[in-house]
Amino acid sequence: MKLSQTKLLITLVMTLSAGLVSTNALAKLNSCNDPIVFGTTISETGVFSTLAEKWRRMTEVFAEEVNKDGGVMVKACNKKIPIKFVIYDDQSVPATAVSLYERMATVDNVDFFVGPDWSSMGGPVPPLADKHKIPMISANVATPSLYDRGLQYFWGTPFPVVPRWSERYFDMIKTVSPQPKTIFFVVHDNPVMKGIAGFWTKKAEAQGLKIVGNETFSQESKDFTALISKIRAARPDIVYIASFDNPSVPLVQQMRQLKVRAMDVHHTMLTGSLARQVNKDVEGMTGELPWYPGVKGPYDGLVERVLQRSGVSMFDYIFTLGRIGSYLVAIQAIEKAGVVDREKVKEALFKGTFKSPAGDIKFDERGFPDNGAFAIQMQGGKVFVVWPPEVATGKLQWPAPTWQ
Amino acid sequence: MSAALSLRGGTALACTGLAAAACVPMFGNAYATTFVFTILIAYILAQSWDWIAGEMGYVNLGHYCFYGIGAYAFSIALVAKYPVLLALLFCVAFTAIVAMLLSFPLFRLKGDYFAFATLALLPLAEILAYNLSDITKGGDGISLPPQSVLSIAYWGALGVCVVAAYLTVWLNRQHFGYALKSIRNDEEVAEVMGIRIFPVKLRVTVLSASFAALAGALQSWQLSYVDPPTVFGLNVALVPVAMALLGGSGLLWGPIIGVLLLACMQQWLLINLKTLQTTIYGAVILLIGRFMPGGILRAPWIRRLPWLHALTREHHERIDSSTTHAAVQGHLPLPKRSIHREQPVLQCQGLTMAFGGNIAVNQIDLRLMQGEIIGLIGANGSGKTTLFNCISKVYEPRSGSLSLDGTSLIGLRRDEVAHLGVGRTYQIPRPFGDLTVQENIAIPLMFKHQGLAPREALARAREFIAYVDLEPHLTERADSLSLQQKKALEFARALASEPKLLLVDEVASGLTPIEINRFVRHIRHVRDEFGITVIWVEHIFSALAQVVDRVIVLEQGQCIADGSLQSVIADERVLRTYLGSAAQLPNAGSTHA
Amino acid sequence: MPIEVLIQVLIGGVLLGGLYALVAFGLSLIYGVVRILNFAHGTLLAVGGVAASLAYAAWQWHPVWLILALIPIFVVFGWLFYRGLLQPLEKRNHFESTVGTVLVTVGALLMLSDLTAKLAGPTQKNIPLRFESFEIGEIIISMSQVWILAGIALLTIAMHFFLRRTWFGNAIRAVTQDSVGAQICGVHSSRMKAATFAFGSAIVAVAAVLYTLSFPVDPYMGFGLTVKAFTIIILGGIGNLLGALLAGLFLGVAEGMTGLFWKPEWAPAISVILLLLILVAFPNGFRIGKRQ
Repeated sequence: MKLSQTKLLITLVMTLSAGLVSTNALAKLNSCNDPIVFGTTISETGVFSTLAEKWRRMTEVFAEEVNKDGGVMVKACNKKIPIKFVIYDDQSVPATAVSLYERMATVDNVDFFVGPDWSSMGGPVPPLADKHKIPMISANVATPSLYDRGLQYFWGTPFPVVPRWSERYFDMIKTVSPQPKTIFFVVHDNPVMKGIAGFWTKKAEAQGLKIVGNETFSQESKDFTALISKIRAARPDIVYIASFDNPSVPLVQQMRQLKVRAMDVHHTMLTGSLARQVNKDVEGMTGELPWYPGVKGPYDGLVERVLQRSGVSMFDYIFTLGRIGSYLVAIQAIEKAGVVDREKVKEALFKGTFKSPAGDIKFDERGFPDNGAFAIQMQGGKVFVVWPPEVATGKLQWPAPTWQ
Repeated sequence: MSAALSLRGGTALACTGLAAAACVPMFGNAYATTFVFTILIAYILAQSWDWIAGEMGYVNLGHYCFYGIGAYAFSIALVAKYPVLLALLFCVAFTAIVAMLLSFPLFRLKGDYFAFATLALLPLAEILAYNLSDITKGGDGISLPPQSVLSIAYWGALGVCVVAAYLTVWLNRQHFGYALKSIRNDEEVAEVMGIRIFPVKLRVTVLSASFAALAGALQSWQLSYVDPPTVFGLNVALVPVAMALLGGSGLLWGPIIGVLLLACMQQWLLINLKTLQTTIYGAVILLIGRFMPGGILRAPWIRRLPWLHALTREHHERIDSSTTHAAVQGHLPLPKRSIHREQPVLQCQGLTMAFGGNIAVNQIDLRLMQGEIIGLIGANGSGKTTLFNCISKVYEPRSGSLSLDGTSLIGLRRDEVAHLGVGRTYQIPRPFGDLTVQENIAIPLMFKHQGLAPREALARAREFIAYVDLEPHLTERADSLSLQQKKALEFARALASEPKLLLVDEVASGLTPIEINRFVRHIRHVRDEFGITVIWVEHIFSALAQVVDRVIVLEQGQCIADGSLQSVIADERVLRTYLGSAAQLPNAGSTHA
Repeated sequence: MPIEVLIQVLIGGVLLGGLYALVAFGLSLIYGVVRILNFAHGTLLAVGGVAASLAYAAWQWHPVWLILALIPIFVVFGWLFYRGLLQPLEKRNHFESTVGTVLVTVGALLMLSDLTAKLAGPTQKNIPLRFESFEIGEIIISMSQVWILAGIALLTIAMHFFLRRTWFGNAIRAVTQDSVGAQICGVHSSRMKAATFAFGSAIVAVAAVLYTLSFPVDPYMGFGLTVKAFTIIILGGIGNLLGALLAGLFLGVAEGMTGLFWKPEWAPAISVILLLLILVAFPNGFRIGKRQ
């Protein structure tokens, strides 16, 4: 009895492990009959899911819209090939994301990777691209140091990038009157935001503005009275809030309540989500937006249709353009390579320039782009692009009336 | 299914599992390897957590903290270009030191307070990681050079798992394991039986933290990245806890089963469902908590399945049968002390103990001579048990002197006092509930001065058990005994600590006359044969009257009479406050109260 | 440092602390009577907050109506949750009932946040109701803060009255101090526990609306709040309402002061550091007031 029971146990264990052990099937690349498969994970649940919603639907609709007129043009096959997404939820846990990307590489046999988003994922996941030699165009991975690791198969499309984030805003304030002299930085403790503050404090100084304060607040902070007292004591002309939209909701509300006065209050992530939560408090604030429906550019029709059908608003969360940007780059890279081949697509991506409704996406040798943003201002509850003047949809009100 | 068969079955299963796990990186694809790797890491975390929780009974909800600290320490060392092995060593050493430092404040708490405080460590660690950005690079996180180290990390993790599993088995058979188990059951009694508590807690915390740190280091090596939300996030902190509890905390196979089930279920849900995966995952955990709260391996219907018997045995079912079947010699293996009637064994002067404004023991002077049997009587609330508690150092007296055989007991710990030779029973028996009768007796034998090895102690415990006629219940759990049996167990356990002075607290209440007589005989016997001095608190006066040499009467914390039986019962004050005026000296040998 | 700044920060700290205390009230009562670690407590608040914000966005109800609407739902949920899931565990031995309640409440936490994210969306929400502020010299107080503080004060007074003057309240206090003794006096223990759980959940409903008026909520923030609430009830003493309020206020003000005198990014850590320091000095928690 003992022997047969042991045998049973061994058989059981072997069967269970058989499910995990599988031969490494070759990818169906270079085939002209099978759809092009993109593998991605989206943080649909867990802490990062609060940053955007409905992206699975948006991704599926994107594929449908592209496939409506056949798909992606592949010269070597002399026809358009449809695309397909394999989507998993990484639950905002990096270890889970890693095992899912391994699965997509070895079991689901995807052709290319798009995504993931967020620095926490952008750390562990991209090395897998190099390991399996699958080009990965990640979306909202904005921390520049993650591109400095010498990875060959990794690109990203954060919108905008730190060195260009407030470029148009600072250009704009050179031209306003009365000229602002002092600026106070309020920074959310997050690598991207700290990167922005670090970069743009220097630029502000170079432009002749005096920095009268630089305070950081943590993600969990709820009571900003102390910080706001410091702002009021410094009486700056510009309050520059470098923060994600959500954590700054109490900050903006309390700034209004405590009657902070300035020529302008600038927010690096002035989104629909923020506007919805603080209502009228957002009036008169300036910010950045990578793109806004109505601003013309390549693929704008496709993007507008995708957004409309999936019920996603570009203004709600700025990360949406990053996601869509990675998809647009992926299909353009295949078109540019002319063949569904990983190495050829990798060459096409290297230091390549690709089109998007917000302007060109130009990668440097690290895979880091140079995306910029438009300066916007909230007026009468609506968002207006106020700089550069060529694409402006409204006129800047300076000094911001509601902050006086 | 016999224990031997279960042991072979269990070992066979373990070896098979190990072999299968070892095969994965060689024959499996990267996905399988990564997935099994996360299982290995989860097992290390769950098992190391269970050493403190399942074995010792302290629920450390901040266990994940050590994982994160290990991950950061390792990554910092690696980025500073130290070789991997040195970095691992550093991470273990650093985390061990942090664990040691944290033990001092944390172990001042008990029960739920301990759980709350440890839970609060995680958000603290996360903020420290964000803000000490010179060392930890803050929110940027630390990027390790992206080499593919999956295989090496996997082997490393597998090795650590094997060591953790082996340690768990080994622990259960060691002194250390028994110390943990006694603390889990009743910390105060464990100390009174001679176990020095704090070093045990410290050691198990350091051990647990070291393994968690290794898990953190290996996983961050494989991910080649670490940042604050990844390692200190509250969202993943409870997962190892849930896994260990789900399988069966305190069982040898509990953590591994819990880990396997939950990890596989989670992965299956992720792959096959597009939505609500976490709801289903949570529902499974909730339902198991509701219907199988001891863990899956303790569910009655699972225990009945013969082919799972290898996995579901509790630790006491694994005790070596040789210790339960050895022959009993029939006499107590206690040292025979010679009695010098003129020498005092216990002296106290001006002993005072107060609780707030209530003075329970008020300036008591006492001398107990060697070999005396002394009765301690008095109304309820007169301070008898408090006096006992002062002598056995359950309380530290406010003032006064107290010495045993010339050695002062003031300022000593309970275990030190136990080693000096004070043994006691409790008024309401406090056995180590989830240990067997045999183990209960074995524990003082293991932890007395020059204690025995566990196997020897278990064997020798049988003599004591036979002495109090508990032989038929040798391998039963102590909490399944009747009141009388528990009192017998208490008595035997107190004897096993080889006391010079035995404090017996109301052992006769609730017993039948025959049972009372037996106790009286035992008490006389241990004094006559082994020279143990006995002081006995009792309300059943006829029992006392049969053996005592002297009676001390307490009233409101003060000693109002101290002398022979005759003189005490004739004393006016004693009659008025305690005995009642109708009391008569019963005839020697009578058995009714 | 002008005195007005100090007072301003103090006011902010008091509001924050009052909200923390509110979160802790329900937990303190429930824990005092039922003696379980309810990990899902904060998540319940998050769910209530999300529901309240959706109701406000859809129908613009005044917060008072939101509270009144939410209370019965939470009472029923709390009662059912206890009766169905937790009460059967009380009959088991100590080890199993502890493990069982941990697993049940952790499972509930996961389910509640996932279902809420699925049904209402995972993104952050709040109730963007704004009242004007008024100034006293250099100090600015917003009416919203005043209303919320008033709400907290009212709730505290009501609960205090309830606990001292009504039979139910006295029964709760009795069971907190001595469960067996209370039973002997005629308190039906398990019905009491279910009722307390329901009552504690009602307090959570009120706390949810008041919280969402001040700060945004999302389905995943609950556990962090639970940790804060645990911190407060240790400091304030189990079942001690006044203690929880004072402990909450203390922590809120401490966070504000840390931001003012040191650095804002350390503010959330100060609660935990204070907790650990105080626990070392007073291992049994404060005994605020004359209770216990």
